[in-house]
Amino acid sequence: MTTMTAQATQVYQLFIKATPEAIWDAITKPEFTIRYYHGARIENTPERHLGLGPNGEVWGDSPTLEYDPPRRLVHGWQSLYNPEFADEPSSRVTWEIEPQEGGYCLLTVTHDQLDGSPKTAESVSGTGWMMVLSGLKTLLETGDVLDPDRA
Amino acid sequence: MTDDDLVFKALADPTRRFLLDRLFERDGRTLTELESEIEMTRFGVMKHLRVLEDAHLVVARREGREKLHFLNPVPIRLVHDRWIDKYTEHRVAALAALKTELEETA
Repeated sequence: MTTMTAQATQVYQLFIKATPEAIWDAITKPEFTIRYYHGARIENTPERHLGLGPNGEVWGDSPTLEYDPPRRLVHGWQSLYNPEFADEPSSRVTWEIEPQEGGYCLLTVTHDQLDGSPKTAESVSGTGWMMVLSGLKTLLETGDVLDPDRA
Repeated sequence: MTDDDLVFKALADPTRRFLLDRLFERDGRTLTELESEIEMTRFGVMKHLRVLEDAHLVVARREGREKLHFLNPVPIRLVHDRWIDKYTEHRVAALAALKTELEETA
């Protein structure tokens, strides 16, 4: 991990044994996100992507760009959770849910347009998105919280 | 084959690990770029990329006229959670128990 520069486009993909509707709810409703998303209450409406920290501080507040339940969600991203890079330009997060055989869905998360936001890119890469996504998988498949300290 | 099998099989080859390392350095590369880094025919590199894609370690996305290959780290993370964590946790727990034991008798 020594000399790596975080990438301007990051792609994460995983299988989750759950219906598209269940995955959609888990990524768009705060009562679910609080259990796996670094303790954030995130609400995605057709208009806005709003993320609040445990004390109500605003961690994310960006426009929703596409809202097509339960298949596709695209929203802006601004790293308001960290004052050091809150002023970096807005980037973009795309969630794609594709049903597979055997009750599985393939979830693809693409975080791109990070070219002008190196600190944000660094902060979400590596374990950043992976903690969120493996926590989401665990929550949906077992009902458990992966990292109770963060939830 | 299960997903884990596909991941282990994909990782069990030095050329494929080399390709993953190249994508780790710089993500979103074309076949032509990857091919230039390795002494192998285009067909050979394609075959290896296919195995990596089947294991979802590489995700190919079309951007304009180009097909770009991205490293997907999630399967390795899941293998880590499922296999590595289990054994290291055990070892750490044993060491912690040893420490308690030694400190109590000291």
